[in-house]
Amino acid sequence: MRSAGSPPPPSPRNKLRIGIPRVLNLWNTHQFWMGFLTSLGVDPRNVVFSSDTSEEQGRQFGKGRGTVDCCYPVKCISGHYGELVFGQKQKLDVLLSPMIYNLPSFLSGHVAKTLTCPRVMAAPENIKAGFIKEQDAFAEAGIKYVSPFVSLDEPRLVPKQLFAGMREAIPGLTYEETATAADAGFRALREFSDRLRKKSREVLEWCAREDRACLMVIARPYHMDPGIGHEIEVDLQAYGYPILWMQYFPIDADLMDWAFGEDIRAGHIKSAFDIRDVWPSSYSSNTNEILWGAKVAARIPWIACVIRMSSYECGMDQPTYTPVQQIVERSGTLFFSFQDLDSTKPSGSVKIRVETITHYLEKYAAAIISRKKAAAPPGCPLRPAA
Amino acid sequence: MATVATDHYRAYAPRPFTRAERDSTTILFGGLHWRIERILQAVLESSGYRAQILPVATKEDLLTGRETADIGQCCPTSFTTGNLVNFLKKESTGIGVEEVNKKYVYLTAGSCGACRFGQYHASYELALRNTGLEKFRMFLMAQDNLDQNMGDGLDLNLPMTLGCLWGIFCTDLVQDLEYQVRPYEVLPGQTEAVVKESIEYLYQVFRNRPAMSTKRSVLWHLTTPYFARALREVRRKFSAIEVDRLRVKPKVKITGEFYLQTVEGDPNYNIHRWLEAEGAEVYPAAITIWMDYLLRIGLQRFEDYSGIEKHARLKLALGRLAQGTYRLTVNRLRRAMGNLPHETPSQFELRRLAAPYFHRNLDGGEGDMLVGKTLWSYHKKKAHMICELSPYSCMPNTMSIGAMAGVVGRYPEILYAPLEIKGDAEVHALSRCQMILTEAKKRAQREFDDTLQRTRLTEAEVRAYLQAHPEMRKATYLIPHDGTAAGTAAKLVLHVAKRMGR
Ligand code: SF4
Ligand code: SF4
Repeated sequence: MRSAGSPPPPSPRNKLRIGIPRVLNLWNTHQFWMGFLTSLGVDPRNVVFSSDTSEEQGRQFGKGRGTVDCCYPVKCISGHYGELVFGQKQKLDVLLSPMIYNLPSFLSGHVAKTLTCPRVMAAPENIKAGFIKEQDAFAEAGIKYVSPFVSLDEPRLVPKQLFAGMREAIPGLTYEETATAADAGFRALREFSDRLRKKSREVLEWCAREDRACLMVIARPYHMDPGIGHEIEVDLQAYGYPILWMQYFPIDADLMDWAFGEDIRAGHIKSAFDIRDVWPSSYSSNTNEILWGAKVAARIPWIACVIRMSSYECGMDQPTYTPVQQIVERSGTLFFSFQDLDSTKPSGSVKIRVETITHYLEKYAAAIISRKKAAAPPGCPLRPAA
Repeated sequence: MATVATDHYRAYAPRPFTRAERDSTTILFGGLHWRIERILQAVLESSGYRAQILPVATKEDLLTGRETADIGQCCPTSFTTGNLVNFLKKESTGIGVEEVNKKYVYLTAGSCGACRFGQYHASYELALRNTGLEKFRMFLMAQDNLDQNMGDGLDLNLPMTLGCLWGIFCTDLVQDLEYQVRPYEVLPGQTEAVVKESIEYLYQVFRNRPAMSTKRSVLWHLTTPYFARALREVRRKFSAIEVDRLRVKPKVKITGEFYLQTVEGDPNYNIHRWLEAEGAEVYPAAITIWMDYLLRIGLQRFEDYSGIEKHARLKLALGRLAQGTYRLTVNRLRRAMGNLPHETPSQFELRRLAAPYFHRNLDGGEGDMLVGKTLWSYHKKKAHMICELSPYSCMPNTMSIGAMAGVVGRYPEILYAPLEIKGDAEVHALSRCQMILTEAKKRAQREFDDTLQRTRLTEAEVRAYLQAHPEMRKATYLIPHDGTAAGTAAKLVLHVAKRMGR
């Protein structure tokens, strides 16, 4: 917010520097924002994402800005805002922190809703309060703060919401170009997800061909942030086990039909992406995907182990602990959970647990795979030659 | 370890509750306050069901809830799950698990939102499984539909739904008046007795509502003088209470998460009674306002889709009409109570006030309404202090409390007490509340003294005037609120001054 007296001439779009906090559901929608902004003429080099979360970032930039005690993925955002406002060599013009209400999930249409966590959607309002409670820190830094409310799973509504939320930040913005840019954003996001799913399929096909075990991580998208998920999966990968993230699991029709066809025919579910058999109130997008991830892991033989990550004080994950564990373990798949992740990496215990996990995998993976293969229907599309 | 796909984990799916079981099965429910629970019981019974209210949740229930479900629950979930489980366990010792499974079903509210309110089933389910009650039938009534697997045992038809709605309106009005009267009653215990009598009277009123068809029920509820007449009778009962409204008391508005602001008991440290005992006048949170908020949130979808979706404008117009009718009905009933209970704030006003701090579409809990209600009370001098009940580990509530930092930064004079309610950390929460309450008391006293000074009256003169006007000492005498004072005593002085021509 600039002082009312003499507004400086707006930067041309290609000069506009836009900062985006790399937090929460930005982790699974960042391609949308890049596609959207680029289509509006913003130079991608001028889109600045804050760094990965770290305690240092919080200390340096977020101190004294917190307004409430809650889960770390939300608490740490003050540090991200602070880094973008106070920690840039080249000043930003805009801080863009969307309030994402719902998500374009691959389960959309098969579940009740795809809402974000109430803390995720409201976090920008909460964090903003820490930057305006004494003085308006954004205005003082000459940064326009914009926080559009956006329902990313309702594409018809998105142009209206983004036009209303962004027109003060993007010079000369029109509704029509917002709509075109939103399309570009969705396209970019789709292409990115498709690419990653294709890669995951290659990994699975390799595992099937070689009869080798892989691991699946079931977590929220922001557990990919090294400061939130503490790279536990990287430690495991170092032992040579391929890692799949549930969010980017291949969803090709042949594979889905093989994995879920029996359940559909038995009337437990209506489609491969239906989770009513395990989770009737399917309102929350990331939660739905977590439950679905557990189901798919239970059905794919080469996923010998599931790693569940959860942040300390996560209210969304809490009711899912038992169902997820049960879904995975009932299928004979190994299940390990890192449940109370917070700001500091619990290095010692992670090391011990990683050793335990790899020990179990060495010992039991082959048996798990063969038992799961025996329980699976014939004609696995991952092994066309079989 | 599973060897065949059919062994896969499946969620709890209760055996349906059938029509044939109606006469032999009791519907358990609870989790609100005793007044509305009693009336809901009347509505259920008058529709041909057996209904039983669960006891108010206790600390023991909290512990059971924590033990039987996954760790890290918000405290309302722990209280409610533990409450059900303990009740069922106790019953099972008497009549056995089999019989309990046959004899009872549990009906509770869920929601269509993403917070745990919408995921209660998981906690209940786990708690029931962990206590060997996995066959017990529990049904979640979401805000937009009834649990799909319920069966035809419970027919949530329109006459019954409207009965519940009108029950909420009436009990909200009674509760509101009760809290305005009790701190000032001359004869201790009289208000309590009148309220009990009034609720029992309303129980009969709702129990004996004429049976009617679905079609007729809407028109009947909207036009009948039946409920207004009943509330006039309640008002008559209250008029027997003599009050001394010159007792200077801070007015404390309760806001917060729905369950905690509604129940009265261990789950919220009995905060209503505690505040009263500490010398405050409590301004309770009406369920009517929460439902008005839900209506507003629902209609915002059509606002957003106007110009995008066919018929969105028409649906919005119809929705607004329904919301207008809702408010008109509440106001009509309030009039029957002599306009004594507080008015229902306009949702648009709350939304406008909250807008700079909290987006209107952020839902999942009470959203922008918490911020809006605080600012509304502050600007309109509706209360000296806000006591916001925030459940430990609640997701939406932590967010609006966080946003309140911006509000308090802008209006540092607001006395705002967000209390984290864990269920078993009473001393900590209450002492925090006590500190702010002390300040509120000072404010109420200052306001009273200033009002006397401004009106050039002494307390003795006001007392003498009241002595000469016995109707003004009745609990049902209306003292107008002109927005210049929040305290009841100060408002009374202003009113007396006006009557005396000062
Ligand atoms: S999903 Fe859990 S960790 Fe994420 S914001 Fe919500 S409560 Fe916090
Ligand atoms: S609103 Fe908060 S306290 Fe209430 S059910 Fe949801 S998470 Fe729990």
